[in-house]
Amino acid sequence: GLLVTGILSLDCNLLHFHLRKVTWQNLRLLSSTSSSFPVECLRETKAFELPQEILSHTQPAKRYIKEAFYEMSIQAFNIFSQYTFTSTWEKDYLKQIQIGLDQQLQYLEQCLEEEEKEKEDSKELEEDGMNWSGALVPQLSNLELRRYFNRIDNFLKEKKYSHCAWEIIRVEIRRCFYYFQKFAALLRKK
Amino acid sequence: MEPGESTFACLTFFSFFLVYINLMFGVLSSLPDLSDKSCTFKVTLRNFRVILSWELKNHSIVPDHYTLQYTVISIPDHMKTVEHCSNITATFCDLTDVWEVLSETYAVTVDGFRGNTTLVTCFIDFFLATHISLEPPEFDIVDFTDHINVHVNFPPVMPKILDGKVLQFYLPLIIEEQSGGIVKKHNPTLDENVTGNFTYVIDNLLPNTNYCVSVYFKHRNLEEIHRSPVKCTLLPPAQDTGSSESAKIGGIITMFLIAAVFISTILILKRVGYICLRNDFPKVLNFHNMSSWVFPEMPPLEAVAFVEVIHINRKKKVWNYSYDDESDSNDEAAAPLTNTGGYTKHGLVGGLLGPTSASSATWEDRLEPDTEERDLSEPEADTDPLMALGTNPGGSECTSGAYEGRGKLLQDPFSKEDSSSTEGSGDKIIFNVNLSSVFVSALDDDDSEAPPASPSFPEETYNLEDSHRLETSFLEARGEGTQPPFPTPSAECPWPEVVLSDISDSSESGVDTGDGYIMR
Repeated sequence: GLLVTGILSLDCNLLHFHLRKVTWQNLRLLSSTSSSFPVECLRETKAFELPQEILSHTQPAKRYIKEAFYEMSIQAFNIFSQYTFTSTWEKDYLKQIQIGLDQQLQYLEQCLEEEEKEKEDSKELEEDGMNWSGALVPQLSNLELRRYFNRIDNFLKEKKYSHCAWEIIRVEIRRCFYYFQKFAALLRKK
Repeated sequence: MEPGESTFACLTFFSFFLVYINLMFGVLSSLPDLSDKSCTFKVTLRNFRVILSWELKNHSIVPDHYTLQYTVISIPDHMKTVEHCSNITATFCDLTDVWEVLSETYAVTVDGFRGNTTLVTCFIDFFLATHISLEPPEFDIVDFTDHINVHVNFPPVMPKILDGKVLQFYLPLIIEEQSGGIVKKHNPTLDENVTGNFTYVIDNLLPNTNYCVSVYFKHRNLEEIHRSPVKCTLLPPAQDTGSSESAKIGGIITMFLIAAVFISTILILKRVGYICLRNDFPKVLNFHNMSSWVFPEMPPLEAVAFVEVIHINRKKKVWNYSYDDESDSNDEAAAPLTNTGGYTKHGLVGGLLGPTSASSATWEDRLEPDTEERDLSEPEADTDPLMALGTNPGGSECTSGAYEGRGKLLQDPFSKEDSSSTEGSGDKIIFNVNLSSVFVSALDDDDSEAPPASPSFPEETYNLEDSHRLETSFLEARGEGTQPPFPTPSAECPWPEVVLSDISDSSESGVDTGDGYIMR
């Protein structure tokens, strides 16, 4: 359904629907990649400190939401690109996750470009100023997101991409996807 | 872009699309496996409570108690023991107040013990957003004519795991309406702080139609939907107010038509002359003076006066015997001859008619002291007693005077003819006396002898009570004329003795009516 949506139309008005759908599916995929979390990996767990505060803005701008989604999607895509598949089953699930993230990134890029064009067409300096001031928040949030995914990447590297590390990362990214899915609902309200 | 390149891109996308679809079906069709090698776990949202239940795969292993521990994977920490889930015999535990974040992954360890020996250890991790099983809430329905009220029971306090619009996004409530094979789904909008009874109205329903309602939480995994037991109801038929109103209107119109036809018929008949209506009603139908008719006037009150009933004793005609010629003409009518009770009275007139009022009053008083019914209009009646024929030998004052006052006998005018004596005619009186009512005393030659005994009445017993009656008869005659009252005894005065001897002095003794005495 995502590919059909991608091929037929990229209506930015339906972006929120797409983001919620894809995110949820990726979340489900991450739950199906492993039967159970290994009990022995409990000793290696780590708190990656997901920046939830950036996801709890009462009235974030649409661009902020889109940019946050874009940052999260591209970072997760990069993380999963480093995944060393231990089995074909796991490989298939991770491929799907990457495809979904890729489609999501394309969708977001298109919509962000359209906003840029609308922004350039607008001749009101005050809106620019407001957007500039509003852009600070997404920049900070994007930085926080990057730091978050850097912690994940560093953990993988430290654990040398062990099985438990990947299990721990899987659980953490799933948790991240859950928060972004709730965040995508805000696009519908705008 | 060249046509070849575009074709390749399209094929690539198409292949990815097919793979994607297959994977989606494969992923979504398979439920998360919440089991390890020893146990099968299940997390259920039952009546808005998070219930973790487990079942040992090896049924031969039967622990007598269990202990549950958990930890949050994203938060590095030791396994935490749930107090109310320690050493329990049940294979489930309520973790509503323990697991409060839906996005977290909870690692659970369940140890089965028999005594102090660990028989089995089960470990599982739960990502509740995708692993929780949603059981439908309790609900009731109330049917109406064209709608159904669905009352869903929410807890007074929502668990923290459902905070953050979880119900609105992850667990939307679905109300299914089924009728005639058609299923209609309703997605009521739930408030973030929905608690208590939630009512949703399914409207635009058909009356007198059977509807079935069920509710459930829509899980993201479409294959895992737990519908509530269906509750069916037959809607009542609609009240046909429209037809009833039209019926009423029709009835009113019909009545008007009937009345109009009736009135027009009457008018036509009257105009034609088939019926004649009278304007003059009989008096009984004259209701102008309804009040007087209903409430008739009372007759004027008659003057009521007390009337003293005075017995008027019919006077008997008596003959008036008067010594004087002058008195004859005056007294004849006054003293006609009367025959009453078989005897004839003859009134004594003349001198006897003197001051009779006093004497009569005296006589009457003495004879009848209690006579109230006396005709006072006849005070002049002569009350010449028979004692006038003779004196009372008793010499009592009550009688002697009365008698003496009337000592003269009257002459019966009828007896005048029979009277042959002329010498003593002035002193002779002829009486027709009813023997049964006359006191007759036997007269002796010696007048000085004891006075004659009181005569007895063989036919009639005379007593003092009857004196009134006799006196009454006397009084009757008194008004018309004089007549010798038959002496009646009184309470005071003894019965006067009829001294017949005085009368018979001038006549021979014996049965001779010519003398006026009859010897018995």
